[in-house]
Amino acid sequence: METYRITLEWNDGRTESIKSEPDETVIEAAERAGVALPFGCLTGACATCTARLLDGRIEHRREPRALKPRHREDGYVLACVAEPRSDCRLRVGSDVHGELVSNPWR
Amino acid sequence: MSDADNPATDAHEHHHHHHEGPGYVTPQAAIEESEPEEVAYVIGLYVGTDVDAPDFLGVVDVDPDSSTYGEVIDRVEMPNRGDELHHFGWNACSSSCHVEGLERQHLIVPGQRSSRLHVVDTKDRRNPELVKVIEPEEVFEHDLSAPHTVHCIPDGKILISMLGDRDGELPGGFLELNDDFEVEGRWDAPGEIEMNYDYWYQPRHNVMISTEWAAPKTYYPGFDLEDVEAGKYGRKLHVWDWENRTVEQTIDLGEEGMIPLEVRFLHSPVSTHGFVGAALSSNVFHFHREDGGEWRADKVIDVEPREHDGWDMPVPGLVTDLLVSMDDRYLFFSNWLHGDVRMYDVSDPANPRLADRIWAGGHFGPRHPIEGERAVHGGPQMLQLSLDGERLYWTTSLYSTWDEQFYPEEGEEGSVMLKADVNPRKGTMELDRDFLVDFGDMPAGPARAHEIRWPDGDCTSDVWL
Repeated sequence: METYRITLEWNDGRTESIKSEPDETVIEAAERAGVALPFGCLTGACATCTARLLDGRIEHRREPRALKPRHREDGYVLACVAEPRSDCRLRVGSDVHGELVSNPWR
Repeated sequence: MSDADNPATDAHEHHHHHHEGPGYVTPQAAIEESEPEEVAYVIGLYVGTDVDAPDFLGVVDVDPDSSTYGEVIDRVEMPNRGDELHHFGWNACSSSCHVEGLERQHLIVPGQRSSRLHVVDTKDRRNPELVKVIEPEEVFEHDLSAPHTVHCIPDGKILISMLGDRDGELPGGFLELNDDFEVEGRWDAPGEIEMNYDYWYQPRHNVMISTEWAAPKTYYPGFDLEDVEAGKYGRKLHVWDWENRTVEQTIDLGEEGMIPLEVRFLHSPVSTHGFVGAALSSNVFHFHREDGGEWRADKVIDVEPREHDGWDMPVPGLVTDLLVSMDDRYLFFSNWLHGDVRMYDVSDPANPRLADRIWAGGHFGPRHPIEGERAVHGGPQMLQLSLDGERLYWTTSLYSTWDEQFYPEEGEEGSVMLKADVNPRKGTMELDRDFLVDFGDMPAGPARAHEIRWPDGDCTSDVWL
């Protein structure tokens, strides 16, 4: 396992670059670097930490159960169980989660 | 549990002559003997936002004679981010009023998303203190997650409904804590129910009724109609044998009972009547035990959907919280998507009569229910009523991910807490225009506000033996 560079991009244009240690999730790497990302259950069930993979490869440490097949096909990942397998670029922030579900009656 | 075995006279005698510990001897005693509430405990949330701060328990000054009336005067910050503090409850209530040495002093404050359990000591009412944290791993050991309703149960123990297994999937169950706030274990045998949500017990009748939301992995990310169509949301009531911890009857409420959430028995321990709100079907059901011993539930209130400019579909009424006044005369419920809070006369529980309602925020209520004050976005949601039934309070956030779908402004500007003055004699309510707690104005950033409790017991936590 190697260390990888993770580039985090927020919708407002802010970016941060952090490094992941071997076997570390994106959330763990961000916490260690003092960069705040939203998260909830930390077990892949709640989708609070949803991010979108723009570039690179990640593997989920365990099944991202909160994501439906359509979300996974669209490149959404769960940062709490996502381990980089290459240098990565991810769109992050609380509004990424909001793209998964919309108001069904509107 | 001897009181439950000897209903009526024995239990009453015992209580009247040997009242020890917390709580009031009867619901009527709670009305007569309680002082007006001076502080309220209210949950404030940052989970799921970009505000880099943990959720907190806020202390709100609700004493009209105080110089800080309507302000958050203290905040107990949790040690971690990501909890989604949600419903919380007392270590002791009137169900334990005969337990010597016990006090209604500790709040059990679970994280709905994190499955972490916090214990807050409120000995100093205005400056409560976090005294213990049970980490999620200890909860997962019992193959449970997603804590919801906290009730004190007799003998100083605490029971928490849990909505999922350790992976956030079904089935849910119940976790029991002892009076030292240690995890005692799983209360129920796994498999008695699939889905779980709220529950209420009535020991005089040896019964508990539990309701159903969905698997955490289904509702956590947000509300998706695809999940409804796939049958992933609940619509059943489970009637338990309280002593044996077994499900004796399951009532399928059908299409009109989709997502039965809050369940409330009448406070009188001799009553078998109660109410449950079916959030998605926009209905309130009345339930009771029939003469033959079977329980039945009938729809008694139906909230009609309403057309809204800019929405493709009519806006359904979403009955998200309900409560019964301590004298069992009135039912209040929140209609979160529409934006009103309603008051029904339930002196005949099978035939509720609309007594009054207030519109504030929501999709049809006034954006500025109090002139000159900040905008109110979400509709009335979590409710709490004073013990004397004269002051009704509410907050506007439902659940962070669901708020985002229906009221995105709630996350940007924070929730409010509002209050109505209630006249139980006339059956009327009036919005208190001098009271608005602005959770948008917190030091770390705007917060969502959820459940409300006060130190001396409230209408949604006290149970009598």
